[in-house]
Amino acid sequence: MNIQEITMVRLAVGYGLLIFPFALLLWYRIPIVGRTGLAVIRMTIQLLFVGLYLQVVFQQNSIWLNLAWLLIMILVADLSIIHGCEFRLRIFLFPLFFALIAGTSIPLVVFVGLVLKDASMTDAQYVIPIGGMILGNCLRADIIGVRGFYESIRKSEKAYLHTLAQGATQSEAIRPFIAQAYQSALAPTIATMSTIGLVSLPGMMTGVILGGAAPWTAIRYQIAIMLSIFSGTAITIILGIWLTTRSGFNVYGVLNRSLFVKDQR
Amino acid sequence: MSHAAIDISNLRVQIDGQTILHDFSLAVDPGQKIALTGSSGGGKSTLLRCILGFVEPQEGQILISGHLLTGHSVWSLRHRMGYVAQEPDLGSTTVQEVLHRPFLYQANLHLAGNLDRLPDWLKRFGLNEGILSKQVGSLSGGEKQRIGLISALLLEREILLLDEISSALDKENRQAVVEALKNVQATMVIITHDEAIFELADNVVKIQPVGEGAGV
Repeated sequence: MNIQEITMVRLAVGYGLLIFPFALLLWYRIPIVGRTGLAVIRMTIQLLFVGLYLQVVFQQNSIWLNLAWLLIMILVADLSIIHGCEFRLRIFLFPLFFALIAGTSIPLVVFVGLVLKDASMTDAQYVIPIGGMILGNCLRADIIGVRGFYESIRKSEKAYLHTLAQGATQSEAIRPFIAQAYQSALAPTIATMSTIGLVSLPGMMTGVILGGAAPWTAIRYQIAIMLSIFSGTAITIILGIWLTTRSGFNVYGVLNRSLFVKDQR
Repeated sequence: MSHAAIDISNLRVQIDGQTILHDFSLAVDPGQKIALTGSSGGGKSTLLRCILGFVEPQEGQILISGHLLTGHSVWSLRHRMGYVAQEPDLGSTTVQEVLHRPFLYQANLHLAGNLDRLPDWLKRFGLNEGILSKQVGSLSGGEKQRIGLISALLLEREILLLDEISSALDKENRQAVVEALKNVQATMVIITHDEAIFELADNVVKIQPVGEGAGV
């Protein structure tokens, strides 16, 4: 691979860039110096740990190791969504886990198995970074979409119940709320697709170029990943909502208030 | 054997640890019009919400036309009922859309012809057809109440559950509503403090907060 090595000493030089933000935080007495320092330490430790683990995963090129790594990432994303949305863990853990698995694995299998010329699911070099990029976007989309869905029903509960009283089935009554949540959750990806390449060079394309590939190849990777992300987010949002509605509503179609941690306090 | 339109027995409802209804029973015959009154917090609105399955009672049972209200039956029993809330949340669309939307639901598709009666209902409630193009958000409280009521009446349900439908109406419109409801052949449970509405009721049931007793 034609890429410049970063030694530990040179990486330490990179940390010198922290002088500017920390000097400004101290000068203006902004009370987040401790939190910022902790974030930098966490980033370093987490990435070093991941780097060490991925070294092993990349050397082994085992489909099982790749799957295990993806499942751990999905579980962490699942917990992160539940925490970020202040949902009850017991109710959302499994439905969102399956929604994330489907949203990540379907486009990943298409990308690695069909779009890439000679790659397979054993190739950690492709499976891990591509899976991670799709999953990261699924996570963001679920936070906006699933939370938006339940929050909007909670805010408009009177209108929702009125719809049920008019004879709507549950699926008819939640339809406008799904449409609204779906639109909000897809909006960032649609906006990114509309401006990509004009505002900044996207992450995957940059990575592929740094890895030594020609820009023309990098662009094709970027298009494929954007399509995968868009498809993955669309799958995970709709499944995230549908799989949680069973426990999200009681048998009478009324929103289950114990979904939200803050309503239990 | 004819069943009561609504048969409530020994209902106990507790919300957030507070008992709202205790050992409450009520039978409403088909076609009967009942006015529910009493001080606020007595559980009148909660009772209507129980009949619609929006609040689950801790004890007791509700029969609608002889059918026990359960999580399974509620979906078909709601097709027999019409409901108007005190301050209806009609969404953020036009009045036309609000009145047409219920007829898009699978259960109401066969009732779409009822929309032919819309001009008549508007006229009877002192509204002109120009209101149809207005946004719901621009309506006054009284207009919203009448549109909510028209929406329920268009569905021609056997049972109407009406919560303070005249609270935002002036005397003239209140009278128009009373006159219109007098001619509706449906069982009605109407929460009200309005003397004009008592006029159309066959019975007035007073519900007091738990501990203060209830009377018919």
